[in-house]
Amino acid sequence: MSSQPLDPNTPPLPPPPIAPAFAPASPYVRLPKSPGLAAFLSLFPGLGQVYNGHIARAFAFFFSWVGSIYLTASGHEFPFAFVIPFVYLYNMIDAWKGANAINQRFLGGRTTPDQETTVESPIWGGLLAVFGVLILLNNLGWLDLERLARWWPVLLIAVGVWFVYESIQKKRASESGDEPTQL
Amino acid sequence: MSRRSSSAFSPEGLTLGICLVAVGGAWTLSNLGRIELLPTLRTWWPLSLLLWGVLELADLAIRRSSGRS
Repeated sequence: MSSQPLDPNTPPLPPPPIAPAFAPASPYVRLPKSPGLAAFLSLFPGLGQVYNGHIARAFAFFFSWVGSIYLTASGHEFPFAFVIPFVYLYNMIDAWKGANAINQRFLGGRTTPDQETTVESPIWGGLLAVFGVLILLNNLGWLDLERLARWWPVLLIAVGVWFVYESIQKKRASESGDEPTQL
Repeated sequence: MSRRSSSAFSPEGLTLGICLVAVGGAWTLSNLGRIELLPTLRTWWPLSLLLWGVLELADLAIRRSSGRS
């Protein structure tokens, strides 16, 4: 408080208002997304991602789910019968994590590289483009998707290479003290 | 809050607009007797997925480059 000379003619200041006892100590912050609702909506694959505003990701999950059901029904039970529950559960977890990451950003907190990747990643746009190319080539008769299904183990190789690449990147980043390069 | 707030463009909106133009054009050509609408759409609809995916990647690249600069 600044110190000022008191004037005897100045009337005394009214007492400051007393805060009511029921006043909250901190303001209530309404978070933009509910992780529980996002996970619940994902009971229909992709809907939770739509709720989070990740439309491309929603389509990627939906087409992965429908595609694995289609390939299972067309005689490729292994491994696509196992892919169906994997896509389904991962879709729910992704919606939950996506809503949490959005809330974290809203609150201005630091997001970890993992959370940033949850919100923004080139994988989802890339998946949509790949789905589009594959279905288009199939429609034009230049590619037989059912014959292509026998090449599914290449996906395992790609995922394995991805994990190796990421772990090397993280190791390099931890050695140099920087944040890992985000892809 | 939207992650699109600082974006140069919205991939969803752009894809929807281009698809509407394409469907409108195909429908007009169909009404003029130049093409058959349903077989054309049945064959070429995955182009919308391809376009959308490419626009998402472009949008992400633009936002990352503007974030770095």
